[in-house]
Amino acid sequence: MPSAPTSSTFSLKSILDLIVYFPVVSYLMGFLEDFIIDVLKTGPVPTHVAFVMDGNRRYSKAKNLPLKDGHSAGAETLVSVLDVCFRLGVEHVTVYAFSIENFNRSSEEVDTLFGLLRDRLKQMSEHEESYARLNKVRVRIIGNKSYIPEDILRDLDKVEEITKQASTRRTLNVCFPYTSRDDITNSLKNIANKVATGEIASKEDITLEILRENNYFGPDVPLLDILIRTSGHTRLSDFMLWQANYNCTIEFVNTLWPDFKFFSITSLLLKWSYYKTLQLEERYIQGIKDDTDYTKRMELLKDLPPPPPFASVSER
Amino acid sequence: MTSSKLSDHVRAETNASPSLTDITRDVSTEIPALSSVSPISSSSQHPPNSIRSRGLAQISKELANSMITTKPPGANSNISGNSIPKSHLYTTPGPPTTVVSNVMFYFHHVLLLSLFFVISIYKNINYLYRRLLLKFYTLTYYPNKSPQIIRDDVNRLSKIPKVISCILDLKDDDDENGGIDGLINQISELSAWTVSAGIPQLVIYEYNGVLINNKGNLAQLKRYISKNLTLYYGTDLVPNYSIRIPHKNLIIYSDPAVTAKEELSLEILLLSRVDGKPTIVELTKTMSELAINKELSIKDISIELIDEELLELVGPEPDLLISFGPSLDLQDYPPWHIRLSEIYWEPDNKDVSYAVFIRALQQFSNCKVNVGK
Repeated sequence: MPSAPTSSTFSLKSILDLIVYFPVVSYLMGFLEDFIIDVLKTGPVPTHVAFVMDGNRRYSKAKNLPLKDGHSAGAETLVSVLDVCFRLGVEHVTVYAFSIENFNRSSEEVDTLFGLLRDRLKQMSEHEESYARLNKVRVRIIGNKSYIPEDILRDLDKVEEITKQASTRRTLNVCFPYTSRDDITNSLKNIANKVATGEIASKEDITLEILRENNYFGPDVPLLDILIRTSGHTRLSDFMLWQANYNCTIEFVNTLWPDFKFFSITSLLLKWSYYKTLQLEERYIQGIKDDTDYTKRMELLKDLPPPPPFASVSER
Repeated sequence: MTSSKLSDHVRAETNASPSLTDITRDVSTEIPALSSVSPISSSSQHPPNSIRSRGLAQISKELANSMITTKPPGANSNISGNSIPKSHLYTTPGPPTTVVSNVMFYFHHVLLLSLFFVISIYKNINYLYRRLLLKFYTLTYYPNKSPQIIRDDVNRLSKIPKVISCILDLKDDDDENGGIDGLINQISELSAWTVSAGIPQLVIYEYNGVLINNKGNLAQLKRYISKNLTLYYGTDLVPNYSIRIPHKNLIIYSDPAVTAKEELSLEILLLSRVDGKPTIVELTKTMSELAINKELSIKDISIELIDEELLELVGPEPDLLISFGPSLDLQDYPPWHIRLSEIYWEPDNKDVSYAVFIRALQQFSNCKVNVGK
């Protein structure tokens, strides 16, 4: 390791970190976290959250660490964020692990990332008491699998297979290697294929819904509620464009991904919960009960109590 | 398979004219529309999910109400279907069963509601602060109807986008800058700023497409833009521009004599929600049909082909996307086109102001795009 950053050794943050990670304190912090999650649980909770995990490299540069350590710090954050989401009752968590455009990086880094991802996913599902299996999390690989090397693909398929049986509502979607344009193209191709083979009767049957069902995510994944991108870039970078552009909260936060801890995620979820409550309240006032049913508003007239009897001059 | 053939197919499906139609003369003979000519159903005025802001007093009252009226679930069940149950505060863990968990649930829920109460106070203070800040920016950056000032502001930046896109809201008729007139006014201001900044293409996205569906509104839009540009450039030297509606394949030129693309200083495109996902659906239909007829092999469907078609059918990919709403809401903007667009919005901003426009350009000049790297 190169020279340690001396200036930051006695910074306020490091002292705070020392206090926070002191055994007794971290034990108490665990209680606090449980409590906060219990409180948040009683409000509206999103069903599908997506993360663009940006900032691992900048983190390692800032901390003077080798690139690999930055990526593993990011992987650790992912586990803790996942834990919070699943404990809260979020059903689907989607992470942008690797973009097809990332193949432009140096082959050394690409190999590191591939290896790291495989190791982490394996580690999460290998044993009976490892994270994914203990918590009954289903792991899905989403994206263009033709880009993945043979040996890694075999391991990933195995991970998917092991976690599949878990009868569970918790799913981790790992987008690897994924871009949204590739996703849309793939969906188009699938549909063209189905029309050619007669699975879809005529072209008039093609609808928005069918396009959504034929993308990499498949029909069972609920609509996206929040998309969170760390490290301050205000771009979607080809991630879930189809899903994120309607009825979805997009959050750009300045924190680097490895620093994205418990309070960062809970505050964003609290904010979402707050706005959702307001929105539900507003719909409640307007008489709309759920997202899909706007015609309900029309029935307000029928819900009114009947008026008094008519008294008309023509019917004497 | 030539690409133009594909998009022709799609256009035939959507009843658009097969070739780019010039309706400049049409529009200039049309009597400018009164807003009563184009009745729009009030239900389609707003996209369903923009969160509208409400006053502090109202929110506090409602939160306090819901704190008091929170009843245990048993009490709700015997009320007749007439009154709507309180369950719209939906909960994931299901109805708590035992007494202890019931009490704990409401203890936590009350805490959450008090937290919301605190947040609502904080949000309102924050709202005030942001509005003041925006007021300050509006005073700092003022174009003064002078292209020179705008160009000076822009020349301090290291780079500018080539295509800029703005998401505009159709406000209520009674609001300030509301209704179709307000929208037209906003577009005319935006086009003056864009042309003065030296940006050649401006894409306007409005969810309902009220301007697109009515020729009278288009005539009015053209008149207003020309009028506004006269204020900036004087009567003699008004820059030439065109207004294009990709969905209907129509184009309007400011000066019928100038139609060459090189001579136009600004190209304005008007989009609405039909240009987004519905257009991709149309493209899918066309491609599947061609695939059945063996005119297109499924293997040939690639990102490049779709990209080419959508560029033709919808327009260019914006480099900078500015949302002029109070919170970031993409409102079903064409998904294919926002891949790498830099997104800018000003929290709690409701107006289309020059300050927001120039700040968006400033952010764009500072951003670094590295595809994948």
